[in-house]
Amino acid sequence: MFRFQSLDEDCTLEEEDDGLIEEEDEIDQFNDDTFGAGAIDDDWQEEHKRLAGLDDGSGLGAGLGGGGGMGGESDLGGAFDSSSSHHHSSAGQLPLPPSLKFSLSSSGLPPPDVEDRAGEGGLAESLARLILEADPAIAGVGAAERPAPLPSSSGSSLSILQGLENPMVLPQPTSIPHLNQLHQHPHHPQHQLPPGPSSGLSPGPPSSSMLSYQQQQHLLRRGTGPMAQMNSHSIWENSMGFGPLSMTPGLITHMEDSPLMSIIKEVGLPKRPPQGRSDEGRDLSERVPPPRSSSPVIGSPPVRAVPIGTPPKQPMSHALNHQIHHPTAVHVRAPIQHRYPPPFPERLSPNTLLNLANSPLCRGPFPPGVGSVLSQIQRAQLLNSQVAGFPRGGPAPPLLPGGGFRPFYGGPPPPLGHRMGPPPPHCPPNHTPTIRHNTTHLHPQHRRMLTQRMQNRGVDRGRPGGDRRSRDPYSNLMSQKEKEWVTKIQMMQLQSTDPYLDDYYYQNYYEKMEKRQERERDSSKKEHTTKLITPQVAKVEHTYRPVQFAGSLGKLTVSSVNNPRKMIDAVVTSRTDDEEKREKQVWNKRRQILYTVEKMYSLLLEVQDFEKRFVQAPEEDREALLEQHKSRTLQLCNALREKEWDDRVSDEQCVMIMSVRKGKRLISRLLPFLPSPQAAAVVMAISRNLPALAKKDKQDQVLCWLVEPVAAVIQSLSSPALTDLLQELQGNEGQLASVLHNKFGVTLLYLILSEGERMQSSDSNCQLMDDNRWTELVFSVTRELLSVAPSLLSPPLFTPPNLLSLFSRYVDRQRLELLQDKLQISSLSR
Amino acid sequence: MNYVPGTASLIDDIDKKHLVLLRDGRTLIGYLRSIDQFANLVFHQTVERIHVGKKFGDIPRGIFIVRGENVVLLGEIDVDKPCDTVLQQVSIEEILEEQRLQQQSKQETEKVKMLALKDRGLSIPKADNLDEY
Repeated sequence: MFRFQSLDEDCTLEEEDDGLIEEEDEIDQFNDDTFGAGAIDDDWQEEHKRLAGLDDGSGLGAGLGGGGGMGGESDLGGAFDSSSSHHHSSAGQLPLPPSLKFSLSSSGLPPPDVEDRAGEGGLAESLARLILEADPAIAGVGAAERPAPLPSSSGSSLSILQGLENPMVLPQPTSIPHLNQLHQHPHHPQHQLPPGPSSGLSPGPPSSSMLSYQQQQHLLRRGTGPMAQMNSHSIWENSMGFGPLSMTPGLITHMEDSPLMSIIKEVGLPKRPPQGRSDEGRDLSERVPPPRSSSPVIGSPPVRAVPIGTPPKQPMSHALNHQIHHPTAVHVRAPIQHRYPPPFPERLSPNTLLNLANSPLCRGPFPPGVGSVLSQIQRAQLLNSQVAGFPRGGPAPPLLPGGGFRPFYGGPPPPLGHRMGPPPPHCPPNHTPTIRHNTTHLHPQHRRMLTQRMQNRGVDRGRPGGDRRSRDPYSNLMSQKEKEWVTKIQMMQLQSTDPYLDDYYYQNYYEKMEKRQERERDSSKKEHTTKLITPQVAKVEHTYRPVQFAGSLGKLTVSSVNNPRKMIDAVVTSRTDDEEKREKQVWNKRRQILYTVEKMYSLLLEVQDFEKRFVQAPEEDREALLEQHKSRTLQLCNALREKEWDDRVSDEQCVMIMSVRKGKRLISRLLPFLPSPQAAAVVMAISRNLPALAKKDKQDQVLCWLVEPVAAVIQSLSSPALTDLLQELQGNEGQLASVLHNKFGVTLLYLILSEGERMQSSDSNCQLMDDNRWTELVFSVTRELLSVAPSLLSPPLFTPPNLLSLFSRYVDRQRLELLQDKLQISSLSR
Repeated sequence: MNYVPGTASLIDDIDKKHLVLLRDGRTLIGYLRSIDQFANLVFHQTVERIHVGKKFGDIPRGIFIVRGENVVLLGEIDVDKPCDTVLQQVSIEEILEEQRLQQQSKQETEKVKMLALKDRGLSIPKADNLDEY
């Protein structure tokens, strides 16, 4: 009959019938003892008579019938119809409704003397007394009841108790006929719940006292299902408020309390844990949700709507109570780091720490009476009142969740109360014994020192400071909670993933001290060899992955310190070695060129300034200056040389220098200062490499700076040199064409030609015509000039006037005219 | 000490009389009422004490909240200990006047120095004036 059922009240009896048969076997033997061969028949008959007699008198007897374990009617009031109920129910298990419990408790449970009386007679008497107290209506009846022999005594007491189910409701005559109906199922499994919509009685959890051990176990396992009320009319339906399994133990715990204790002892139920604990546990276990319905104390933070750093507003007494007094909280221990990796980034909030801190601490300083109900604040106030002038004992919490102090120690935990400060067996009588600080994270030596210090100070400074502070009207503006909160934050800051890194000196100092002590004393005292491990927070690797929602455009705009938003996608591009080398080479060369240019520039500037200085300098210095000047000039020339021993101006060097804009400028300024052969050489080099230079100059377009100095040089050239120059300019195939494309080139060409012409015209015995080179060259030039497309021909900087006369010498009229048009040479100079 | 054994904490200094020196050179004396994790301090019945030479003057300031980063040092004042000091207390006006004179003379010397340096073509960049200590 105690098959587990759902708690809905509408389940029918048919369902019950099926499930209960299998259980019959298990509980059978006990049932046999109680109701079968083991039972003594006489009892119930006598009982019945008695109760029937009573029934007439008080009208309660009938009520009992239904209550016979069958979850009889609510009408059953007759506590004394046990025999009938027994008989009828044939069920070994008689439910004891919760109301009974209450009624019993309300009646003022008799002191243990009830339990003491193990005798059968005494049992019944005590029960009767209880009943009498509970219900004055049956006071008169109680006396009539006589105790029955053991097996049925349980039945009788049960029935009595059952009768008390409904102390206020008088039994009705209909109950008995109902019972009779019930009896028609004599072979029902004895544990079957009585059928009948009439059974308004909520069976309640079976009286633990009446059950045999096994039965009880079954009951427990099946939970409080069968207690569910089938008849909605029952007034006991909701009284239980059947909850999850955990309710049952509590109730049963309570059940066995006081009057039934003796019964339990007789029946041989397993002993319950001691009273005190059950008191506490019972009180709170009803309020506290079952063990795992909420997040465990250890490891995960309490869910807080406010961020970590806000100061506390109200006492979190309820939460604290829950967490502190939950019986399992403290006992969960190592391996802390593995089992409960902190789910949130590696730190505990001050609030968590606050809770954790108090769980071990609350045990300490308080007398048992204070116990569980006080909140943090209240406890603090208590302490405060006890010890004026000292704030509440240190709540410095362990920095790992839970009471897991043990993992901090490699060796056996030190015998000196690892949770509290060392117990002061030696402390002076006026020491404030109640203040315990959480010094677990400290080295044992350190801790000892601190306590000693405290003791000393406690004596001296306690009183006067306290007095004054109590008189100060503005004192304690900072509440205890706030102080603790600040302390928590400070402790949090001490959390360290690597104590040797963060607190090197502390660790080392105490290590040394330990070693020293070992040397001094023998290592018999184990505490000294305990290795201290400061509280560490497990190093959790955090890889930041930016939060992204699938299918969304772009990234989240909300970011915080702990999850920053990725702003830039910095990608490392690695170039191959070769490329890098090449690039480096290029840069190096350029740098070198620039460097050379700079050096030459400085020389040049000095040379250029020479005149000025020479004039300004006094007489005696002039020679020196002159010397200097000469040397500088020499240096400049040398700079143009590629190699030290080579006298010639290096082409390469020139070109190199001229590849840089500044270099071109340099050359243009330099040319006037160079001695003529070298200047000529430079100009040669320029003309020789003109295409290359022109190409490099595309960006800068500064070649034209060179025109003037080059012109000057050209004018100083001798005819063969000039011829050579022209030849150079023409150079290889197609060079002239490219020359003509370039402004400077054209200008240079004209310069040369004009110079040639001047030579020819001015000097009759000029050697220009001595060999045909000049003529040929001119011819080729003219040819080129004629052939080149006019668009490609770049206009020169200026057109020397005597070109026309030059050309007129070498070309016929027709071509001359063509040239004229093309080059726009006119007799008028431009 | 009580709360965090083995470390230093301001918790134990609460409701005691303290002297605090700030980064801008001010000296405040008052009852420390409240702190926080940044060592921001709340002072009650604060008095600003100005020292010039051997004289000092107290200016009552009321309630002060000091941001933690501006504190140079902070020390408890033992009210019981007899105060035997050569310093002479003067009135507020007098001490302010003295202070002003002191500042003035300081500025003058500074000016002269700068001028001398400038003549030599040197210039010392002006240091950050916020922290005088």
